[in-house]
Amino acid sequence: MPIRDQGYQRYRGDRMQRGRAWWVIARTGIIERLHRRRFLALLLFAWSPFVVHAVQLYLGATIVRAAFLAATEDTFHTFLTQQRLFVFFITIYAGAGLIASDRQSNALQIYLSKPITRHDYIGGKMLTLAIFLVAVTWVPAMMLLLLQFLFSGSLEFFLSHPRLVPAITLASMLQVALAVMTMVALSSLSRSRRFAAMLYAGLVIFAAALERVLETATGSPAWILISPQNTLLLVTDAIFGEPPEKAALLALAVAALAGVLAACALVLERRVRAVDVVA
Amino acid sequence: MIIATDRLSKWYGHVSGLNDVTVALPEGITGLLGPNGAGKSTFMKIVTGQLRPSAGSVRVFGEPIWGNAAQYHRLGFCPEQDAFYEHMTGREWLEALARLHGMDNATATASAGRALETVDLIDVADRKIGGFSKGMRQRVKLAQAIVHDPALLILDEPLSGMDPIMRRRTIRLIKDWGRAGKSVVVSSHILHEIEAMTANIVLMHNGRIVAEGDVHQIRGLIDEHPHRVWIRADDPHAVARHLLAGDEVSSVRFEEGAVVVETPKPDAFYSRLTRIAASGEAGAIEEVTSPDDNLQAVFTYLVKQ
Amino acid sequence: MRDPVVAPARRMFELALGEMLWGRRAVFMVLAAGAPILLAVVMRLAFATGSAEFIVNGNRIDIESMFGTAISLLYLRFIVPALGVFYGSALIADEIEDRTITYLFVRPMARGAIVLGKYLAYLVCVIAIVLPSAALVFFIMVPLAGMGTLIDMLVRDLGRIALGLAAYGAVFLCAGVSLKRPLVGGLIFVFGWEPVAQVLPGYLRRLTIAYYLQAGAVGVAVLIAVSVAAVALAMRTIEQREYILEQ
Repeated sequence: MPIRDQGYQRYRGDRMQRGRAWWVIARTGIIERLHRRRFLALLLFAWSPFVVHAVQLYLGATIVRAAFLAATEDTFHTFLTQQRLFVFFITIYAGAGLIASDRQSNALQIYLSKPITRHDYIGGKMLTLAIFLVAVTWVPAMMLLLLQFLFSGSLEFFLSHPRLVPAITLASMLQVALAVMTMVALSSLSRSRRFAAMLYAGLVIFAAALERVLETATGSPAWILISPQNTLLLVTDAIFGEPPEKAALLALAVAALAGVLAACALVLERRVRAVDVVA
Repeated sequence: MIIATDRLSKWYGHVSGLNDVTVALPEGITGLLGPNGAGKSTFMKIVTGQLRPSAGSVRVFGEPIWGNAAQYHRLGFCPEQDAFYEHMTGREWLEALARLHGMDNATATASAGRALETVDLIDVADRKIGGFSKGMRQRVKLAQAIVHDPALLILDEPLSGMDPIMRRRTIRLIKDWGRAGKSVVVSSHILHEIEAMTANIVLMHNGRIVAEGDVHQIRGLIDEHPHRVWIRADDPHAVARHLLAGDEVSSVRFEEGAVVVETPKPDAFYSRLTRIAASGEAGAIEEVTSPDDNLQAVFTYLVKQ
Repeated sequence: MRDPVVAPARRMFELALGEMLWGRRAVFMVLAAGAPILLAVVMRLAFATGSAEFIVNGNRIDIESMFGTAISLLYLRFIVPALGVFYGSALIADEIEDRTITYLFVRPMARGAIVLGKYLAYLVCVIAIVLPSAALVFFIMVPLAGMGTLIDMLVRDLGRIALGLAAYGAVFLCAGVSLKRPLVGGLIFVFGWEPVAQVLPGYLRRLTIAYYLQAGAVGVAVLIAVSVAAVALAMRTIEQREYILEQ
């Protein structure tokens, strides 16, 4: 006599026409990472430069003799540059396993067997990392701006620096986009989260080291283009209107960054598939 | 006794994995039976020295196992996890592990070949493990446990992922090992699989030993436990009338479109129900379900005793 | 019982050596060692054709001095610590993450032998790849005429590289045995703490491996001691620790 399992029931509730799978994936990833205490500690520590700058702004606004600490455009530019280190570590900590772990546990095929597109999947994974990186770049920078407004008690600073908000936004979004695209692309290349982290760290560190040695050796600034991080610095300088040492390279730098992002997109297009061919 | 534990306990933080387990496993084949989360894997990991007891002791071949590397000459372990060196072929992997047992190259090669033949993987021995199917992966895991011809085998859910034919072959293999003088402790949550291998069973539930002994005794406990059977039929009252004509049913109640009966003699009851359904005397019977015919129900029953 | 450590460590070394040399992860090691060679070729061509001047701190320098810069900037500050962090921390941590450590733990060998065998395989691999890379850079960059006087410098630099690989590898091996995510901590130590500590006053810089790589005979002794102690600690830790593998 057949004995049937009563466990499964067909879903009879409401169903959206087109699901927001990318948000489901992102939210799950964010919540999972926020449960890790060490990661929370890293995120909190990433806000320590904000605290230092906030104190600096306060002193600059309230103590006449400390007026040299008052905010300038360079304050925000410097802040975003300082956050690069935290962006690097948060990218590795939160981003290395985004796709690599799914490949290791064969979850990628399960994801893609659901009614979601590859772009939903990739978008959700990118959003997971992007949210954390925005939280340590754009958000604290904008909060510093807000504190500047509150401490100064006037809109004078805003009015005299009208491009500051778009500059901060563009610079931090570029920083986030480069880190997110690179890390997610490298994560899709491996089944090991650690190997993906190694690849990212190697790319960032070695490229920077090579660039430094070549530039020192030849005196040519063009070598900056082999290091995505330093290229980004060059572009960020230009965004904040600072006279870049390597102004002539700006167009090439933008093209190089676009090239890196395009290469990452190509990698993801090829690697995120529901089929895994084993030789 | 080949494995003896005394008040063995293991907890992971606040979660108890094993709770005051005292058991002595004899030579031969012992089935470790229990639902998921019963503590079978934890028990096996402690017995194989992967984990350290939080309290109590465990002895294998009369000696402690933790930090006693010499024991692994006589012990083979097939873990539950599906984890391999995917880039290696089955043959390379087994030869490497055999060499770790101290075998020279020639002996390692021969032992690996024998193990692969035993689990029916010799034809694909030179394929990368990454290209194996689930069943093949399970078999190569078994092979690594036997490559050094151990006296004691600890097998954690060895039949998981195997097709029915391979399951039958593996069960026969385990019985052959038992007849050859090896001791085998094999875990599963499926009663009839364990039944096919051995009569000697240890039942676990919630980290405790619930029962141990002969499988027929366990079967008897199941039979004594009244079975509930849910029958959906066109005419439930007619079905109930026919069933009550026999002595297999101890109670009857009705639900919408169905009748729920309790029977202390499930085997006889099902025979009778089959005859009633086949004859059509009580109308069409559309569905028969027994929520009690599973191990969880048995354990629940046993735990409540 | 038969020797539980030395002979098993040798067998483990053979297994790990094959994995390290022929696995996909060796590609990273080869790239890291190969990049300086390409760099040296580029610089030598640039120097030979006169298409570039080598200027450091406003002073024009010769190509022989560039070798010293390359060793210092590229090898000792990046390649050696990076390989130590990446591969040293992965030796045991990868086996735990992949859940294959079980197969090693149920072999008749002391757990410490696993650590020792893998560390020795790492050391042989990285030295076999990085030292020839550095030597090749030397032979590319330094003209034949100047080699005789600079061989001492080459031998000293190769020794420092080997010592650095041993020390970083040992320390991060120990981290990999003890910590769940040794890579991030390792990167913070090597690329966060060490550069910062070099500019801090007092004894703080002595809490780095980089300091002892520049510290002459005393540094050599300290690094050897650190390497031996770290490996010994890793062997002891793995004997006593239990690893709860994620299912």
